[in-house]
Amino acid sequence: MTLNVKYNNKSNKSSIYVPELARINKIQQISPTEKLFDIVFEDDKNQNNFNFEPGQFVELTVFGLGEAPFSICSNPENKDFFQLCIRDIGNVSGALHRMKEGSKIGIRGPYGNGYFPYEKMRNHNIILIAGGLGLAPLMSLVKYILHHREDYKEVMIIYGAVNPENILFKDDIQYFSSRNDISICVTVDNPDAEWTGEVGVCTKLIPRVDFPVEDTCAVVCGPPVMYKFVIIELEKKNYSSEKVFLSLERRMECGVGKCNHCHIGDKLVCVDGPVFSLWQIKNLKEAI
Amino acid sequence: MLYKVMGRDVFKDFVKSLISNYEFIGPKRKDKAVHDFVPIKDISELDINYKRTTIPPAKKILFPPDEKLVAYEVNEKIKVRPVVESSEKVLFGINAWDINGMNFLDRFFVTDFVDENYLERRKKLIVIGMDSEPTETNFSPSMDSEYAKDGFDLYITELKDRYFIRINTARGDEILKKYSVTENALVKDFKDYNNYMDNYRKKFKLDVNIKDFYDNFELIYDDDEFWEKVAKNCYSCGSCNLACPTCFCFNVKDDIELNLKDGNKTREWDSCMLPEYGLVAGGHNFRPDKENRLKQRYRCKLKTFLDKFGRYACVGCGRCIEVCLAKINIADNINSIKKEVSV
Repeated sequence: MTLNVKYNNKSNKSSIYVPELARINKIQQISPTEKLFDIVFEDDKNQNNFNFEPGQFVELTVFGLGEAPFSICSNPENKDFFQLCIRDIGNVSGALHRMKEGSKIGIRGPYGNGYFPYEKMRNHNIILIAGGLGLAPLMSLVKYILHHREDYKEVMIIYGAVNPENILFKDDIQYFSSRNDISICVTVDNPDAEWTGEVGVCTKLIPRVDFPVEDTCAVVCGPPVMYKFVIIELEKKNYSSEKVFLSLERRMECGVGKCNHCHIGDKLVCVDGPVFSLWQIKNLKEAI
Repeated sequence: MLYKVMGRDVFKDFVKSLISNYEFIGPKRKDKAVHDFVPIKDISELDINYKRTTIPPAKKILFPPDEKLVAYEVNEKIKVRPVVESSEKVLFGINAWDINGMNFLDRFFVTDFVDENYLERRKKLIVIGMDSEPTETNFSPSMDSEYAKDGFDLYITELKDRYFIRINTARGDEILKKYSVTENALVKDFKDYNNYMDNYRKKFKLDVNIKDFYDNFELIYDDDEFWEKVAKNCYSCGSCNLACPTCFCFNVKDDIELNLKDGNKTREWDSCMLPEYGLVAGGHNFRPDKENRLKQRYRCKLKTFLDKFGRYACVGCGRCIEVCLAKINIADNINSIKKEVSV
C-alpha cells in the first residue's frame, strides 16, 4: 500500500472534525429575524491564530444539537473577535437565537479557499450588490475595503431588503452614509408609510451605476433567485466575467470537502468557493 | 513489486495462521447468491469463490455506515476530543475492482484535508487481494479497474497447481515470510500467470463506451427529455449509493446522551439520490428533481474526478445495476449517451 499523504492541515489537532471552544460575547437583535453574534475563542492562542479572509465561513457547533456553516461578517483586520449575522431559520440557527451571552459554542474554520479576491480588486471601482441576508458576507469585504480605503477607487453598495424593518446592519449603513468615500443605496420591496428611499428589487439600481468597464469589479451575494437577474444586468454593462464575483450557498455537512453535499459540477462550494468568479460560474451548470 | 509462488499444500496453513493471528475479515456465504465480508474465526467459514457482495468490503471497514468522529462532555466546562478508532485487521479475498475502489477513497479522503478517521483505519488494514468471478453487470475493464496494481499488501492469483503472489509492501513480505513458504517466481510462473490473466479478462462480457463520455455528457446534459427517460422509474431510494464502492457522501449529526452531559458528532452515509440532499435551512432545495440528482451522480462518477484525480469515481463493479429497484443501468446509459449524440 502506498499512501502518499501530504498534510495540508498542519496542526496538532488529530481530526478535522473537532471544533475549538468559543464563547458568544455579545448578542444584538438587529432585525426581527436576525441577530448579530460577537464570538471569541476560549483559548487566546486560537483567537490569535484565527485569521480569515473576507468571504470565508466557519462551521459552528451547538453542542448536542448540530453544526452549520455561517459566513463571517466582521472586519478581517479585527483580531479581538469575529461576528456572525444569523437568521432564525434552521435547527442550529434557532438554537443560537435562544442562547444567551456567555454561552459556549464550537467553531471550526475559517474555511473556503475561494474568498473575495481583495488583492486583485485593488485600484478598481467596487460595486457590492446584496439581497437580504446576502449583505452579511459582503460586510466583511466592505469593512476590509474601508480599512484600506486608499487602495480602492469608487465604492458603491446596492442593497435590497424585503421591507424597512428587515434592513440589516442599520448602524453600519448610517455610518457609511455619513462618509463621503462610499455610497450606499438601499431599496425595499414593501415600503411602509415612513419609507422615503428606493422601492423595488435591487437589480433595477444596477443600470444607474456609471463606473468605467475596464477597472470595475462587482461582488454579489443574495438569495438563489437573485443571481440570474443580477448577472443579466451586469452583463449589459460588459463587465469582465473575471471581475464579477458571486458568493454561493449550498448545503454543507463538513466544510472540508468530504461530505460532498455542496458540489456543483466538479467544484465544491466549501473548498473551491464559496466565492466564485462569473467565469467559473458560467462553466458550472446549475450554479445559479 | 516482488513476485513469489506458493504451493497449494501450504496455502491452507497460511490462511489458518492469518485467522489465528489477526482480526481476519473475509468473504462468507450469506445466502445462495450473495457473500458478505465478515470477521472469520475458522477457515471453514471462509469461501473465496464468491461472485456477489452487496456492500463493498473496503467501504464497510474503512468508512463504516455510522461512525463517531468527536466526543464531548458538556459540564461547567466543555471538553471536546477527537474519536479516531482503529485496530489492525486483515482483509482477505478482496477483488481487484474493489481494491481500486478503495484506492479512490484513499485519494479522496486525504485530498485538501486529511480525514484521520479514514486514514488510521486504512494504515492498519492489511489487504490481501484475490480475484473473484465477475457478474454479468461488471464492466470494470472499461473503467481500467479489473486489475489492481496498487493498494494491497499481497495479491494472490490462483494458478492450476500453485499460487502466484504479487508482494506490494514490506509488511506483506514479512507476513509471507513469517507464516508461509514461498519461492521466487520464475519465467514459467510468469507465463502461466499471463495465460491466467488472458482468460480472466475474457470473463468480462460487458463493454462500456466511456471514452467519449467526457464531452458528449455536456451536450446531453441539457437534454431534459433524455434525462426524464433515464430517471423515469427512479424511486430516489439511494440503493445505488449504498452499494457503490466509491460513494462517500455523509451527514454529520450531533447527539446528546440521556444524561445531558455526554455528546458526540457522528457521521452516517448519505445518498445524493435522496430528495433532501440539497435542502438548506429555510426550505430551499438546490436539487429538487430526481433527473437532476441522477445526472449529477453520473457527473460525479464519470467526470468530476477525471478532472480532479485523473481517474473515474466508478470502478465498473456493476453493483448499482444489480441493486437498482427501477432497473436503471449506468452501463446502458453511458452507451446510449454516445448513441444519442451520434444519431
